[in-house]
Amino acid sequence: MTVATTWKQKLAGQVREDWAREIDIFETQIELRKKGKVEEKLFAETRLRRGTYGQRYDNGQRHDGEKTQSLPFPSGELTKGPVTMWDAPGMQRIKIPYGKLSAEQLETLSELAEEYSDQILHITTRQDIQLHFIHIEDTPDLMRRLAAAGITTREACGNTVRNVTACPYAGVCSTESFDVIPYANALAFFLLGHPDTQDFGRKFKVAFSGCKDEPCGLTNFHDAGAIARTRTVNGEVKRGFEYYVGGGLGAVPYPATLFDEFLPEEELFPITQAVCRVFARLGERENRARARLKFVVKKLGIEEFKRLVLEERAKLRPDERWVSFLSDLHVTDEKPLKPGSELAPGSYPKGFDAWRRTNVQAQSQKGYSTAKVTLPLGDFTPAQGRLMAELARRFTGDSMRLTVEQNLLFRWVSNADLPAFYQLLVQAGLGMAGADHITDVTSCPGTDTCKLGISSSRGLATELHKQLSVVADQLDPAAQGLHIKCSGCSNSCGQHHVADMGFLGVSRNMNGRRVPHFQLVIGGQYKNNGGSYGLAIGAIPSKQVPKAVKTLTDRFVAEKLDGESFQAFVARIGKKEIRKLVDQLSVIPSYEQDPSYYSDWGDPREYTIGDLGVGECAGEVVPQVQVGLADSERELFEAQLLLDEGSSDSAAARAFSAMVLAAKALTREKNSFLGEGVDEIVSEFRAHYYDTKLFFDPFSGGKFAHYFFRAYEHRAEATASKDSAHQLIEEAQLFVEAAHQCYTRIAGALP
Amino acid sequence: MLSERLQLKLYLEPSEHFEIEALIPVFHRFIRDRVLEELMIDVVDYSHVPDGPGVVLIGHGADFYVGALDGQYGLVYSRKRGGPGPDGRLQDALRRLINAARLLEQESALKLRFKSGELSLRLTDRLRAPNDDATFADTQAEVLSVFGRIYGGEIAALRSSASKGPLELRIKASTSPTLEALLEKLGGPPDVAS
Repeated sequence: MTVATTWKQKLAGQVREDWAREIDIFETQIELRKKGKVEEKLFAETRLRRGTYGQRYDNGQRHDGEKTQSLPFPSGELTKGPVTMWDAPGMQRIKIPYGKLSAEQLETLSELAEEYSDQILHITTRQDIQLHFIHIEDTPDLMRRLAAAGITTREACGNTVRNVTACPYAGVCSTESFDVIPYANALAFFLLGHPDTQDFGRKFKVAFSGCKDEPCGLTNFHDAGAIARTRTVNGEVKRGFEYYVGGGLGAVPYPATLFDEFLPEEELFPITQAVCRVFARLGERENRARARLKFVVKKLGIEEFKRLVLEERAKLRPDERWVSFLSDLHVTDEKPLKPGSELAPGSYPKGFDAWRRTNVQAQSQKGYSTAKVTLPLGDFTPAQGRLMAELARRFTGDSMRLTVEQNLLFRWVSNADLPAFYQLLVQAGLGMAGADHITDVTSCPGTDTCKLGISSSRGLATELHKQLSVVADQLDPAAQGLHIKCSGCSNSCGQHHVADMGFLGVSRNMNGRRVPHFQLVIGGQYKNNGGSYGLAIGAIPSKQVPKAVKTLTDRFVAEKLDGESFQAFVARIGKKEIRKLVDQLSVIPSYEQDPSYYSDWGDPREYTIGDLGVGECAGEVVPQVQVGLADSERELFEAQLLLDEGSSDSAAARAFSAMVLAAKALTREKNSFLGEGVDEIVSEFRAHYYDTKLFFDPFSGGKFAHYFFRAYEHRAEATASKDSAHQLIEEAQLFVEAAHQCYTRIAGALP
Repeated sequence: MLSERLQLKLYLEPSEHFEIEALIPVFHRFIRDRVLEELMIDVVDYSHVPDGPGVVLIGHGADFYVGALDGQYGLVYSRKRGGPGPDGRLQDALRRLINAARLLEQESALKLRFKSGELSLRLTDRLRAPNDDATFADTQAEVLSVFGRIYGGEIAALRSSASKGPLELRIKASTSPTLEALLEKLGGPPDVAS
């Protein structure tokens, strides 16, 4: 017998032929890139389409708290993309359609984390798994091993259809119209590699939900969102979907727009295909910041967009896959291992009752429950992965789901088994209660590993979890049910817009040093599939955020009316009240009094560059800039209040005014004779900051300046709707943030 | 040893003073001052994960963990790529592990003390080192030889692999030399990376 010396040999015949060929091609491209025979941008796009990302410090530079040092990687100047060193560790995203994992798949993922990564599997907010610190040359074998377990990383990133997500309770939920999983499953594989999804200017995300009122599917912020609906026609129950398009979070969140209140099931695929074709044809290519479908829908208006999609639909060549899956909608059904049962009364293991209250939910099928494993920050070890795989086999018949709250859900646990199931979780350190409650803080990777992270969202989430866990049992039930979500930057991967309390990483200059902050985002709605988005109230120094959470939580508990949600409570007391808290917490001790405020959670490096040099000019000008930027923030806050009062026009005008104030503050530094006229401010800002690219940052370029210029061009337009005013406030927020960053750079505090 | 990927762990003496977060600034300083002989890149805090890798010092060729993946705290040297050929891998890993342990013991704020004679070895390469009897027999023989030479006295190397986990051996030496003495026998600290 020949002993296999490579994974390719060992897994021969176990991998789908087309997937095996794709991975072979990718491996060849790696070799060609090493020989300089593939251009770096092309290689970057190739690897991204296979879910292979860069990570923080992959430009070969790392700031150590005092100075920036080079990382002398052995492959020298060889890159795997623009400014991305070959040897720099990267992240591998692994798309798991609707988060469904088998025990075998979880075991494979655990092996890969053990052999190629840092002993941690991370669940994302879109039901993916991510492995970090992976070397590019390990990725082909990693992909082969996944493929042998029925998982492809194809199109986990890049300008493609990303992971198709769905409610983790689909099929076992009492509020759903029907089980959406057969549809999500078939659509995920229909769109994977489809010729009509290969030429987008940006990514495209799809989500399914079984009902409208619960948050589980979060369809409201997806490019295409499908909510299960039934309709009775001539006595016959017909299935279809309330179909939405053009939702998205990101820097400026857009709620999805209703495309069709009842899209018949047989039209789901062709309409989605037609949407993809229209997106590929009309989506922005040059400006990445405005390339998502939401901008196409916004620009055209839903009626025109719908007309174009239906026109495209009429031209499509019929495809039997549109409906073939409908002939067997039970293909994704799960068979429970054990008969349903009742939980016998008696004495249960210590902690079981608390865990059951928060982590267990009755299924629509009598005698069964779902059981959620709380995984702080979505992290677990390979050994825990293997244990959960074993639990799935032993108790449920192999049925698990990754959730967007970064936990793992078991389905079909027979009720009588719950105590034994819990006890085994406890033995593996996984018996924590509080899933999807206030202690279970969601976070994106932030500055831990993400190149775009500004503040440490994971560090903050860990600290909040730690502090809240101590008091969780004593909290009022209403407070226990609050959701906290953290993002390290404005790209919103932590989904902070739909939290009761959302936090968005930013930075500020204080006392001559750079200080990590988080914008407090209040008023988001998690229910109704992420029904509405919160707005930023103001920036709080990172180390003060736990105090903000405690104060807000205490006040909510003390003052809430019967049955009042946090969102309603905030609306009732008004954002001015919340802003007072932000203002109180924005004061921090000097560096000499307490340097801890000048580093981030979980990272002792000084957030400020030690050799901050303040020149003569800057020494005089910087305070003026700071005053002007503070004025712009106040103006922005006033805009929010006006919006809350229903004065959309005034809110929009005030948001634009905030942008003008920020631009003026910066531009005065370059032109001390700058007047007050808006035309002059815009023109001078453009000349001094945009044309010179001084306002650009390494990742976003000039996109935030574009927001300002666009607002200027449209300032005379007659009326603003609530949505458009909301959007303008978001854009103004980002412009003001960018002005802060620009100011920090010109003051010499940023590399 | 055919497996390029291996993890060698030295266990900590239990201590009520041990705080895992205290490792974070130390590891950041190791990177900044290039204290270790290899290219180190980043520090990751996984202390929120029960029985997890703890605090990790990420490198290009190897990582260092101070964590409790097997339920017991210790320092892990995890070779990922590169390094010497098959014959020198185990001894090289031991040398780098002992050197790092010695450096951590010297950090007075950490209050760490290692059990120099208690280790474990995991081969995290299921292709070249599957968790089977043949690999165990080969690995055990190599462990007894290398550790016997370095530690002197009796060496026990027993299989401790979990079901479906990688091949793992628990190693106990009858002697407990100081880390300095062990490092001396291993050829002294490796050259610091430039």
